[in-house]
Amino acid sequence: MMTLDRASLRYGPILGLSPTTFELPDGGGITGLLGPNGAGKSSLLQLLSGLLPPSGGEVKVFGEAPFRNPAVLARLGLVPEGDRLPTGLRADRWLRMMGELSGLSGEGLKAAVARVLDTVGMSDRAHLTFARMSKGMRQRIRLAQALLHEPELLILDEPFNGLDPEARLTLMALLRDLAAKGTRILVSSHILGEIAQLTDRILLLFRGRLLAEGTVTEIRQLLDRHPVELRLTGEAQVLARWAVEQPELAALRMEEDAVVISVRSPRDLLPRLQKAAAEGGIPLRALDPLDLNLDAVFQYLTRDHA
Amino acid sequence: MTAAPSLLTTIRATARGYAPRVLQGRGWVLAALVMAPVGLSILIFTISRLRGLDANPGEALRIFHEGLVKMLLPIMALVAAPAGIREDLEQRTLPLLLVRPAPAWALPLGKGLPWFAWGAGWLILGALGLQVVGGDPALLPGRILALVGAWWGELAFMTLMGLVFKRGTLWGALYFFLWEPLVRIFPPFLQRLTFTHHIESLAGSRAAQVGAHQLLAQEQVATHPALALLALLAFGALCWGLAGWKLHRTPVGLAGSEAEG
Repeated sequence: MMTLDRASLRYGPILGLSPTTFELPDGGGITGLLGPNGAGKSSLLQLLSGLLPPSGGEVKVFGEAPFRNPAVLARLGLVPEGDRLPTGLRADRWLRMMGELSGLSGEGLKAAVARVLDTVGMSDRAHLTFARMSKGMRQRIRLAQALLHEPELLILDEPFNGLDPEARLTLMALLRDLAAKGTRILVSSHILGEIAQLTDRILLLFRGRLLAEGTVTEIRQLLDRHPVELRLTGEAQVLARWAVEQPELAALRMEEDAVVISVRSPRDLLPRLQKAAAEGGIPLRALDPLDLNLDAVFQYLTRDHA
Repeated sequence: MTAAPSLLTTIRATARGYAPRVLQGRGWVLAALVMAPVGLSILIFTISRLRGLDANPGEALRIFHEGLVKMLLPIMALVAAPAGIREDLEQRTLPLLLVRPAPAWALPLGKGLPWFAWGAGWLILGALGLQVVGGDPALLPGRILALVGAWWGELAFMTLMGLVFKRGTLWGALYFFLWEPLVRIFPPFLQRLTFTHHIESLAGSRAAQVGAHQLLAQEQVATHPALALLALLAFGALCWGLAGWKLHRTPVGLAGSEAEG
């Protein structure tokens, strides 16, 4: 569906995106583009949505370069960052225009406008001008314009910024629903929790470089330098005695009724731990991985590359 | 997947979509720019008549050339053009348009057409208003064509300036208020590079009213009215086309500043 082959983006002397290579396969699903502010997320999305041509390398979406390419633009929808909309226009009329600019006409256009307004829950407020809409309402309209022509690829740049918790949940549910129906969604955010709630598949950008891609677990397994932290809950003294005999152990920390161990290759340790617990050799009540989440992966990666 | 809209569909959709914008503050400023001097002249004319005074027969000519053509028409273009495609660039809403499969180079014209139609309507009304204060009926069609033709050209010119230069309004203002007034001292060829020359060719010149102290440094050249109108329309079309080409070629990102300068 989309390929970047050493694609880079420069803003004059400033490098917005270092030569980056990755491929996103066909089919539905949500991919999170994660990185702190200034990491190059918007630059990457601008390359993919055809707003900017790459300064070097090659960008292909649906097999073609997207910059000012109607064949590609007819198949993708973009929700840019922010909540800006043209001043003084009514939402329904503006959506009608955007539909026409997407190649819709006649009854198909009418139906598309009604459909997207219904999808984003704005059917009864579409007659309002943008100036009279709240930030959440404007964000819904911005999503509606991107869905008018039923794009195969939907790109959203920081769509949760400025939304209240209820609007966030609504938008997340909407995105999950679209993904389930077969739309490929690429959504950027600098907030881990947002991406973690939406998807497990991420692209991690930092200082204009793509640090990692894949699921959180896949990426975590690549981080050999950082032992995996596991909390073993039960009789702490006995658990600690068992743990120090394991060759994979890198560190150990005692807690009140648990022991936190750092292990280098949990794949080797976990079957032995499971066996010992099943045979009653250790009094284990619970096992919790502490840093197999996105937050930890993000911290490790950015710390390593800082 | 939808098919990309045609050029005509793009222009029509954009013009219709943005048409309500002319009914906002900026649109009424344009209307006031035309109607205020004309209305004031009509008021003075009416009061003079009521007091039994004769109206100045040259009043309509003076308002047309000194007011509408020299001052207000350029100011209208300076006011209206930034509300066209330049506004989307500054408000960062341009990516929403550029990510559509529609031809990007039709967008400046599509966004400019409502402003052209709105301004042209008021200019025609203004020209008709000048008849009340003694405008020559024989010159009326020429004046209307001159105003509308020049408005088309000047609006397109300012739209192009807004896309080519970061300070397009400043460059446009310099052109209108420094270059254009020099028309009477220009050699013949350069006279044809001014809006004033073509407007005067269509609407009639003020040369007869120029006093001894305002003697021309160069002989005023004449252009056939039809050619003058054609030149204004062609220049406008060229500017709209170049603005579209500039927009099509220039990467405009989410920051909205890449197309500047």
